[in-house]
Amino acid sequence: MDRDLISLKFTMLRNTTPGLRKAGWIVGGVAVLATWAVAILASGDAVRSSALTLVFALWGAGAAVGPVMTSGAGVLRPDYFTLLPLPRAALGRGLLVSVFVSIASGFVLLALLATAVHALRVDPVTVVVVLVGAPLTWVLVVSLSRLVYGLLGAAMKTKLGVEIAGVQFGLMFAGWFAGWMIVQVAVQSVPRLLQDGLPEGPITTVVDALPTSWMVLSVDAAAAGDWARAGGLLLALAALDAVLVLATVPLLVPRSAAVTKRSERMRSRGLVAGGGILPATQTGAVAMKEVRQWRRDAWRALESSTAVWTGAAIGVFALLAGYESVASFAGLIVAFMLGLSACNLYGQDGSAVWQNVVGQDETSVRSDVHGRQWAMLIVFLPRALVVTVPFLLLSQAWWTVPVLLAAIPAVFGAAAGVAVLVSALGVSPGVDPRRRMGPNDANGNIALHVWIVLLVVPVAVLPTAAMVVWSQVTGEPALVVAAVVVGLVNGVGAAWVLARVAIGYLSTRMPDVFTRIRYGQVFHGSDRSDDGLLAWVESTTLKGEQDLAAQKRKQREARLARAAR
Amino acid sequence: MADEHALELIDLRREFAEKVAVDDMSLRVPYGSFYGVVGPNGAGKTTALSMAVGLLRPTSGRALVQGIDVWQDPISAKQRLGVLPDGLALPERLTGGELLTYWGRFRRLPREVVAARTEELLRILELDEAEALGTLVGEYSTGMRKKIGLATALLHAPKVLVLDEPYEAVDPVSARVLTRILRRFTEGGGAVVISSHVMAMVEQLCDRVAIVARGQVVADGTLDEVRRGASLEDRFVELVGAPEADEEELAWIAT
Repeated sequence: MDRDLISLKFTMLRNTTPGLRKAGWIVGGVAVLATWAVAILASGDAVRSSALTLVFALWGAGAAVGPVMTSGAGVLRPDYFTLLPLPRAALGRGLLVSVFVSIASGFVLLALLATAVHALRVDPVTVVVVLVGAPLTWVLVVSLSRLVYGLLGAAMKTKLGVEIAGVQFGLMFAGWFAGWMIVQVAVQSVPRLLQDGLPEGPITTVVDALPTSWMVLSVDAAAAGDWARAGGLLLALAALDAVLVLATVPLLVPRSAAVTKRSERMRSRGLVAGGGILPATQTGAVAMKEVRQWRRDAWRALESSTAVWTGAAIGVFALLAGYESVASFAGLIVAFMLGLSACNLYGQDGSAVWQNVVGQDETSVRSDVHGRQWAMLIVFLPRALVVTVPFLLLSQAWWTVPVLLAAIPAVFGAAAGVAVLVSALGVSPGVDPRRRMGPNDANGNIALHVWIVLLVVPVAVLPTAAMVVWSQVTGEPALVVAAVVVGLVNGVGAAWVLARVAIGYLSTRMPDVFTRIRYGQVFHGSDRSDDGLLAWVESTTLKGEQDLAAQKRKQREARLARAAR
Repeated sequence: MADEHALELIDLRREFAEKVAVDDMSLRVPYGSFYGVVGPNGAGKTTALSMAVGLLRPTSGRALVQGIDVWQDPISAKQRLGVLPDGLALPERLTGGELLTYWGRFRRLPREVVAARTEELLRILELDEAEALGTLVGEYSTGMRKKIGLATALLHAPKVLVLDEPYEAVDPVSARVLTRILRRFTEGGGAVVISSHVMAMVEQLCDRVAIVARGQVVADGTLDEVRRGASLEDRFVELVGAPEADEEELAWIAT
């Protein structure tokens, strides 16, 4: 049966988008070459040993994070097999084995075998250790990868899963925005690493303790004649493998309903009884609903947690790279990420937008737009502060405080304004709420949305930026205070003006927003003009949606044609 | 009364690319009537009702609620309408009570009214236990979703109810409750339009029926006018057409 599952997996992978997989292969191949290069180019035995332990630790981290970005790991979903008369243990084993038979796992094994270079240099006999240790470490890394993904694939069902996904997406965004800092540090430190190895100190202790290092340490022990220690390390590795496999298999098999326990949830008795903290107005009602959606909906929670982790990761990058004052702006990234997180609110709601259509009255559109903005602020402002304060303390760049006081409100306002406008103009429904499974299901094609937010937010905060620069250059205290005031006014103004545009657009087009979600197209009335920027965004995003749908249709037809041959 | 009909569809038409989903459909729903729209899957029932309540722009034609055009004066028309769409999402991460509270306040009802009606609707529709457990609408069963959907349709005390498949997956006990509520609504002068493909139920509930096929009304009127002495199901099959049953097909299931 294991073979059937493996062939099923490859059949399904052939039917997924090939571009991402090929990119993954290239990255993996380069990483394997780099690992071998480290093994060959290191200046001495001790240096090679410590360099390899570090590289393998990175492989372990990469394997834990990687599967979320590519589709391979999640291809065989346990639910597919729920109704088959298969023993659970056999199915779990089969699903785990299918993970090992993949290109990515092949790369991991190839990389680990670079230890042979080290073994040959220190003492050719110790190659034996590599022959045992490499497969053991391979099982460790690949099972770990599957275990993390399994936790996640319970994924969008638990708070922890959402948080792990948030860390992974956060690292990805941080890599895009601020990866240059890491690249720069890496470029500076690789030659030093190859020359001197890891500096003695806590880093070496930590890296040596990682199981990914045990094979290398075992080779070193064997070369020093301490075969007992060498064997002990390999045994420990084998034991850890057993634990990981045993932990992973239950995550791979379909779970029975009895396992999902209803956790005690915060209820809103007071709210239902007519109370609640937010005002009992139309706007308050929308804000109340939105705050709960942000908190309880796994996809919304993923957006907000991604924002936090992106900020935190950039802060850490900056601290590591020695840009202390950049680190203190980590919280500002959270504010900026709000714009990206919320740029498809109506699409996230999916067909639930019908309520906005049938519930329309004189003020409902305005209340809806403003309520959503308030909710964004309620949800993201504390998060931005939670990130700002620790990084400010760590970086001790106190001069940034007035800058942050001006910039945070400005960016918040601009982001909350452009997000709501873009989500109105460019509704991009993913999978309808009740059918969502994977972390990417909530949005359709939001490429243009992201670009608009990336462009509009900086433009919208120009007045604040100008004031901040002026006040910092002159250092005049009055100007510093003025900059903070301008930041606040700028933020409120941007949020209000952009919301105004969104309200104007939505007041006659709520049914169109709904039909874009429900039918994937817009049926225009006769009263419509097709020019102007808003109409351009509307039609371009709609076209993006329809192209995506057409592309999927075409792929399906091509597959059917292939199958028919 | 602004108009003699609670709801009127006049030559409503919707084309999707090449396909005509609703083909110049006209319907008149009098005050106090319990109106059943029946038809096979894909006949255009949901599309027609979506246009009637302002969810889908018609290619041509009009929909009037108490004489008010839904597409010319949507705000006045929508205040008079209560809608239960079929198969659409709700704010899935709210409990039933939170959803009704949101909806009542969104429709600008006073705080106390919202609280009282929410409590009463949850109790009558037997959703109060789920509420006590903190069950979210996304975790509701299909029947419970119908019930909470109906509660949202009733909450602002509309004059005309348009309900798409309200009895689908609802258990018999709840169905009785539902019927009692809807009868009470029509006795008070309100009009109810439901769509369904369960003929027996429509026969039992409705005083007026329209049979829809291929986007057109093929028969409408009072129940007796449409039935013409036969059962509604026979009349339906006669008008819509059914494929001939072949004795030989699927013979293996009986082995």
